Amino acid sequence: MSSTAPVLVSIRDLVKRFGPTTAVDGVSLDVAQGEFLTFLGSSGSGKTTTLFIVAGFEDPTGGDVLIDGRSVLSVAPNKRNIGMVFQRYTLFPHLSVFDNVAFPLAVRRRPRHEIEQAVKETLALVRLEEFAARKPGQLSGGQQQRVALARALVYKPRILLMDEPLAALDKKLREEIQIEIRRIHRELGVTILYVTHDQEEALRLSDRIAVFSHGRVVQVGSGADLYERPADAFVAGFIGNSNFLPARVRGVDAERTAVELPNGAVVAGRTDSALASGGEASLMIRPEKLFLVNGRDAPDANYDCRVDVTLRDSTYLGDSLQREVVTPWGQCLMVRQTGDAEALSHAGTGAALTLCWHSGDARVFRKTAGSSAPRS
Amino acid sequence: MLLSLNRMGPGRYALYSIGVLVALFLLFPILFIALLSFGSSQWLQFPPPGWTLKWYRDFFDDPRWIAAILTSLKVGLCVMALSIALGLPAAFALVRGSFPGRVALRAFFTSPMIVPIVILAIALYAVFLRLGLNGTFIGFVAAHLILALPFSIICIVNALEGFDEAIEKAAIVCGASKLEAICRITLPSIRLGIFAGALFSFLISWDEVVLGIFMASPSLQTLPVKMWTTLRQDLSPVIAAASTLLIVVTMAVMALAAFIRRRSEP
Repeated sequence: MSSTAPVLVSIRDLVKRFGPTTAVDGVSLDVAQGEFLTFLGSSGSGKTTTLFIVAGFEDPTGGDVLIDGRSVLSVAPNKRNIGMVFQRYTLFPHLSVFDNVAFPLAVRRRPRHEIEQAVKETLALVRLEEFAARKPGQLSGGQQQRVALARALVYKPRILLMDEPLAALDKKLREEIQIEIRRIHRELGVTILYVTHDQEEALRLSDRIAVFSHGRVVQVGSGADLYERPADAFVAGFIGNSNFLPARVRGVDAERTAVELPNGAVVAGRTDSALASGGEASLMIRPEKLFLVNGRDAPDANYDCRVDVTLRDSTYLGDSLQREVVTPWGQCLMVRQTGDAEALSHAGTGAALTLCWHSGDARVFRKTAGSSAPRS
Repeated sequence: MLLSLNRMGPGRYALYSIGVLVALFLLFPILFIALLSFGSSQWLQFPPPGWTLKWYRDFFDDPRWIAAILTSLKVGLCVMALSIALGLPAAFALVRGSFPGRVALRAFFTSPMIVPIVILAIALYAVFLRLGLNGTFIGFVAAHLILALPFSIICIVNALEGFDEAIEKAAIVCGASKLEAICRITLPSIRLGIFAGALFSFLISWDEVVLGIFMASPSLQTLPVKMWTTLRQDLSPVIAAASTLLIVVTMAVMALAAFIRRRSEP
């Protein structure tokens, strides 16, 4: 989404406390018109609470939510004209699919023919025209969520909130509906705020992703931004797979930070934050950015960082070869070889190899308590 | 299924027999009284020497029996309406509310089910005597309402707890006001619980006799009370006819409940 689109939703310094716990701790986000923004985080990170404050179901302890530059905090949730799809199945059980989708227009007292026309169009949008007469209990989970989507879109809200709508579905169905959601977003140009804990889903759907942790937004950016330039070890661990190597900062210059690994090898990585020389740090590198060469082979000039390792295990995954290697200090690292997966296919368990990478592909993060390797 | 009838072999016939015997045991008094009501014997002789509809004719020819049955219906319907009118808001408060003492209040609302009815009757008699409600229609309704309320509250509380509040939230996001969402979405969704509460309330009042005896006056008697007082004077087969009619109405209400339940299942 182009950054020139006007801001539609503006979340300002949002704080929400439930008794002694702070669920949302100073969240600020601007959402452009037509943007697909995903709140990504584990449970309890404040993403759903933030969404519910935008919907109007929770009042914030502090901060503001603006739509079109006007605060909506004093606007009742039924007057905000926002569409919402919930995590649980929320179709009205006693009404047919048609009447479910017609409900928002019925409470708006729209004329009968207009309702019929709009419901038909919207059911066609989610490809469920032939299910109009069914009751929700006669639909599968995926169909129910598509009806819920139709119900949230039928009154043409400018903003659509989605709270983990696919969490209850199995993987294949989830991917199918993700494609539907992308298509609908493209066709309608509606602004979507989407909550999920599934990083793959976030990457697949979003224009931008806001990573939530402990009630704060840790980083906002496109999927590529978060993957290539994670702001800290938490984001790096949350988006994609990563290796984290313990390191001590040796020297800092404009481009690279040199760090010393536990075995004394000095390597380098890029960094955004200023690090003190001698401080503890953590070097992050993605499994697919690591390369294995035979110890005797000539070093490739592109790979300016090298560590001797021992091969522990190789797993053939079709499109890639996954290797586990052990460093001299006993840490197990993941390496993903694509393309020339054949190159070292003969190397058996216990083979002495050299692990190398380009210093531009590694990142150095300040070591913070508990954040060295959040998740693999 | 772990316990499958098809895999039990001959053992299942034993199971069938036990089932039939238990059903007969439960049905026996009802069948017995129904047969007697059609028997021609003045002295409730069994098996009946012949068959007749005389006792039903006697029943419907006696204005006191008709008055009793009308009183029972009127009291029952009033109890049913009030039980839902009071039980519905109470159930919402118990399920949705977050006030101190909510759990204790819930236990308290079901306490009339635990207190022995005779004790309740004596206490009410004393109170109503002072209020001048003994022998009045209002007294009957108020007394029966105390017994019926726990049932309607329990039925509605259960239905409301099984209803996902997110569905109501969804209705609100769709543009409905809170009241609109409750009336158009929540109440229809829990209607089975409301129906069940209403039918239970009616039936409790319909066949209640202990409180009725204390509340009744010679001119105001419900059907069970009239049966009781008649029985104390003489044993007539008209009692059997009255009993059968009482049971028929009860069974009709239960059948209605089953019908509604089946129809609203998807």
